[in-house]
Amino acid sequence: MKILSILARLKKTEAQIKIERTHYGIKFYLPENVSEDDLLKTLAGIPAGVYKLPDNEGLALDFQSRKCSGKLVLKLFAGLIWRSGIKIIAWLSSDDDTRKLFKLSGFNTIEPAQEINLQTAPVLNENADESENNNYPGWKILYNSLRSGQRIETEGDVLLWGHLNAGAEISAGGSVIVAGKMHGIVHAGAFGREDVFIWAGTFETPQVRIANKLCYADKQSTKGWLKSVLITLEAGTPLIREDKFIKPRTEDK
Amino acid sequence: MPARVIVITSGKGGVGKTTSTANIAAALAKFGKKVVAVDADVGLRNLDVIMGLENRVVFNFIDVIEQTCKLNQALVKDKRVPGLYLLPAAQTRTKDAVNPEQMIALCEELKPEFDFILLDCPAGIEGGFKNAAAGAEEALVVTTPEIPAVRDADRIIGMLESMGKSPIRLIINRLRPNMVQDGDMLAKDDILDVLSIDLIGVVPEDESVTRLFKYS
Repeated sequence: MKILSILARLKKTEAQIKIERTHYGIKFYLPENVSEDDLLKTLAGIPAGVYKLPDNEGLALDFQSRKCSGKLVLKLFAGLIWRSGIKIIAWLSSDDDTRKLFKLSGFNTIEPAQEINLQTAPVLNENADESENNNYPGWKILYNSLRSGQRIETEGDVLLWGHLNAGAEISAGGSVIVAGKMHGIVHAGAFGREDVFIWAGTFETPQVRIANKLCYADKQSTKGWLKSVLITLEAGTPLIREDKFIKPRTEDK
Repeated sequence: MPARVIVITSGKGGVGKTTSTANIAAALAKFGKKVVAVDADVGLRNLDVIMGLENRVVFNFIDVIEQTCKLNQALVKDKRVPGLYLLPAAQTRTKDAVNPEQMIALCEELKPEFDFILLDCPAGIEGGFKNAAAGAEEALVVTTPEIPAVRDADRIIGMLESMGKSPIRLIINRLRPNMVQDGDMLAKDDILDVLSIDLIGVVPEDESVTRLFKYS
């Protein structure tokens, strides 16, 4: 990653903002121990040219361990976001209360992951209940069922070997495979990727989400109900199709 | 042998937690065990009514925690079944009157005296549930064969697992075999498929229970 030098103009205050070039645009590391006023002054001093990014890129704000108030969020909108017109891709924080505030505000709190290189796809770890491959942050394999109220939120793909019970949720930046019964809610491509899929061992959920599309389903009108299905986006529309690419086992014939 | 402390819970209200607690406590006592049923539903106590002991309640476990009385003064002995005791909840207080640490301390105080301590948990997943579950090592989850009850039971099982309770076992209450046969009610196997815990019993629907509640 290329790190841009701290702009000299920012040194007029104590606050220093580290700016990093990333695969999704730029990332600001906001200082933790300066007042809100100094922080806002420093942000106001950043030249407009910094925010000139391609349409598909944006800015991630990393508050690190700083406690962020609702008022500061409003001031950031007024003093930075609306003024610059920049698209905020993620609101990051290591502080629990701040992250909760961002989630309640409907902001994305997960940094977008790098594109996954399928040539070097990770090997499954069959002994762990949950494995996370360090090469692809957020790539998760779960060997149990997800119960009502449990939620998996990750940047990459998710493979769930058990059931996804009603009331459980998976939100993944990549694709999602539920080997068991899919009663709960799955959101694949949660950060906008459309080249993702959902595969369900048994499809029984009233709703699925892919990228920014939402699809309702029910027993009466949905083909593939109670069957294995593959769900993809085709021409911008979610398409549920019965899974025909798995050959039946000999004893099932 | 130290007492087994078991929380009886469900998530959803009205599935039969209190009735199950009373009946399991009475059954264990009839097997010769010394059992105390603790009503952990502060502010909405009912276990005393179900056990037919409401007219003998003087103190409650909040009084014990606040040292207004001694534990023996709050325990109500059931004269019909030897070895069966009730520790009632306060009806005039709220769930905030007790915290998990106090509940654990109360159970520790009860342990040397009893073989089984059954905690009748309030519905919900908030403070009342957390207090009741804090004191227990094991859990019995009660559900009825209805989707909302099963879903809430699933939620509670997840929470109990994350709290380290083990074993967690299941009671399916108010099952109507005729309706299951006709496909109008969830079958035992459908419920077990979702909840994936050990089943210890299925209690069929019994109108006489409803009739008894009319007369407490």
